[in-house]
Amino acid sequence: MTSTLRNDFLSIAAFAALIVLAVPLFFGFDGYELNTFARYLCLGMVAMALALSWGTAGILNLGQAAPFGLGAYIMAMHLKLMNSTSMPGGMPDFMGWMNIETLPWFWQPFHSLGFTLLAGLLFPAAMAFAIGAFIFKGRVSGVFVAIITLAVLVAIQLLFVEEQGYTGGQNGLTGLALLTIFGVTIDNYSLNFYYLVAASLLIVTVLATMLSRSKAGLVLRAVREDPNRARFLGYDVSNYEILVFSVSAAIAGFAGMLYTLVLQFASPTYMSVSFSLSIVIWCAVGGRESLIGAAIGAIVVNMLEGRLSDVFVEAWLMVLGVLFIAIVLFLPRGLYGLAVSVLDAMRSQDKARHGTTAKTGEPTRPGESASTSPTASLSAGE
Amino acid sequence: MSIENFGKRDDVAVMEAFVLKRRTFLKNASVLGAVTTTGLFAPSILRTVKPAMAQGADLPVGLLFSLTGSVAVVEKTLHDASMLAIEQINDEGGVAGRKLNPIIEDPASDPATYADRARRLVIRDRCISVFGSYTSASRQAVLPVVEQRDNLYWYPTLYEGRECSRNVMYGGAVPNQQQQEFVPWLAEKHGKRFYLIGNNYVYPREENNVCKILLDRLGGEAVHEEYVPLGHSDFSSVINRIRAEKPDVVFCTLVGDSDVAFQRQFHAAGFDPAETPVASLTRSEIEVQAMGGDAAAGHYSSAPYFMSYQSPENEAFVKAYQDKYGSDAVTHFVSEAAYFQVFQFKKAVEKLGDQELTAPAIRDASVGVSVVAPQGEVVIEENLHTSLWPKIAQWNGDGQAEILVQSDDRVSPVPYWAYEGSTCTAEGLKRA
Repeated sequence: MTSTLRNDFLSIAAFAALIVLAVPLFFGFDGYELNTFARYLCLGMVAMALALSWGTAGILNLGQAAPFGLGAYIMAMHLKLMNSTSMPGGMPDFMGWMNIETLPWFWQPFHSLGFTLLAGLLFPAAMAFAIGAFIFKGRVSGVFVAIITLAVLVAIQLLFVEEQGYTGGQNGLTGLALLTIFGVTIDNYSLNFYYLVAASLLIVTVLATMLSRSKAGLVLRAVREDPNRARFLGYDVSNYEILVFSVSAAIAGFAGMLYTLVLQFASPTYMSVSFSLSIVIWCAVGGRESLIGAAIGAIVVNMLEGRLSDVFVEAWLMVLGVLFIAIVLFLPRGLYGLAVSVLDAMRSQDKARHGTTAKTGEPTRPGESASTSPTASLSAGE
Repeated sequence: MSIENFGKRDDVAVMEAFVLKRRTFLKNASVLGAVTTTGLFAPSILRTVKPAMAQGADLPVGLLFSLTGSVAVVEKTLHDASMLAIEQINDEGGVAGRKLNPIIEDPASDPATYADRARRLVIRDRCISVFGSYTSASRQAVLPVVEQRDNLYWYPTLYEGRECSRNVMYGGAVPNQQQQEFVPWLAEKHGKRFYLIGNNYVYPREENNVCKILLDRLGGEAVHEEYVPLGHSDFSSVINRIRAEKPDVVFCTLVGDSDVAFQRQFHAAGFDPAETPVASLTRSEIEVQAMGGDAAAGHYSSAPYFMSYQSPENEAFVKAYQDKYGSDAVTHFVSEAAYFQVFQFKKAVEKLGDQELTAPAIRDASVGVSVVAPQGEVVIEENLHTSLWPKIAQWNGDGQAEILVQSDDRVSPVPYWAYEGSTCTAEGLKRA
């Protein structure tokens, strides 16, 4: 195990070096330039959240944008109230336009930043807990999980669009204040702000890696392979699934809060089906088996989008689509999988040269390597 | 179920972390190596270094209209109109001897992408102005970027008003400009019982607020007020209600596909436009082209510009537009504004002379700028909105509008018309 820990540590360290040093260095430590990259990091975080439930536990959540959007709105509610203090009754402007007389009760607590930050994590998690309990206690699995999560997403988005007196409707929450925390106002175009986002992503990476390396993570991987078998071994499968589903939602909620800080508005498009499916694509491109891989996938795809739309102004979406199809066809395990197989090839060549033949049964494909180990690991973990 | 079955699927890769430790490390290392390379390489292609602005160099201006996605149908025409204006200006020697360099971005109809691309135009490409967008949602997404960087956003679309940014040049009509002549005219000609139908978002609700105030003054009433979701396309129940209520006028603020679907179904239901006219604030030549001239025939629209308007400037505009984009291309009241705003920008820059060209300087110089637009001579007011020439028109079967009433004078924009005590001034919003 210590070696695994070391590997995790090294990969996180390299990831940290990339986003803390390499990227800011490249952009000349310019806060304005880095603001765009901070946006990619937020998207990387929500991709990581999906990789946690999809890659680790095999739960394909097509509604990952829902907790993301909730987190974004929760943060925006606080910032909107901060910017509405001079308005009659401290009410956000759009409520006045909708002839709402007093600030609704569920807006009141968002005057408090502490409550807002907690709510941004816990509310999406609680919601995922409720939905997860319904799904997993009912032993819903496979494609039906995808359908239910997608339906929930659509319902939530519709609610936010239609209840415009409370949510700002189609336009979302705009005209927000800058975040003031401990008396310090955070300018979203400053270098410090970029480091706030980068540090948040690293903390999430560490925590998510710890979860996936814990016993719970091991059980979840067993569940991914065969829920029934895990059940026969005596594990309460649904509890583990609900756990990872909720943690993933909390991370997405956190990413959503940061996203609002980056863009300075919350929009119902953060909860759109197309955005939610994009998250799945980022995971697929980066490799859903790796948390960092998924984050990298999100960052790379979004950078590519920006670049392609520069070069192919009219046809960039089509080029992007062709790229995705190519990745699904030729790199089903994403960039992470590509790197793994390149390395495997290099290693076997290396071995052949040194004449140190691998012991018999040495698997050439990583998937097969697992075939002999899980039971041993599971019983060791018991 | 055997042990062999357990990990047989070949997409399992995480399990091996427990077994093949060294290999995992190498894999991770290689992933990160690849990623670091990508990370370093990608931004370098991402950042096309633009020359800093120097005297005599081209003037970079951003064009931020969706060329893909749901609003591309409309925004492409705005993009085309802006490009036409830029081309014409450059053909005649540019602005004060400097060519306009249009930098085109496609925000793909997504608000977050609007914000992202606006940031790129303003920060990376150092545009001194950005022309863009159709929906209110996209304008509000761009707003924090241009306000933070004190840049200028030229927004050509009619909108709900109630906004007073010092970083947006509003070229379209606000509610008072479209309604203050239209509603009394409709009430006198057809009657005072209005049925209000719109999409459920801020623009239709605000237009209807204004309409209800006007009706109230006239002693009329809104017999029913109804909102359907954006993109809604089944209007059978709405049409039944209209039949039951027998309003004098159907006051319509549906947009895009919803407007097209409603008008087709309304027409198919057999209503006579002479008895129950649809009066729209949003319907232009584009929507009429989509719904078919027959469906729109006999109904009304109010706007500062129609393609059929007779003026030398408009004839030249329509001809140039169709020469460039095809003889079946239509111009409409938003694309006209997208067109004349570039000329407003040009005049403001020329007014500055030798002074330093910054977005705030252009903004301050633009106040009072007057341009002979296809609709007539338009003037930028202190509140950065534009005084326009409202017109009332009736649609013909051929998809063109016949202009029935043209206002006697320019109508000033009052973005807070329905909100007593709030005024948009040169210092921003003032509350009494």
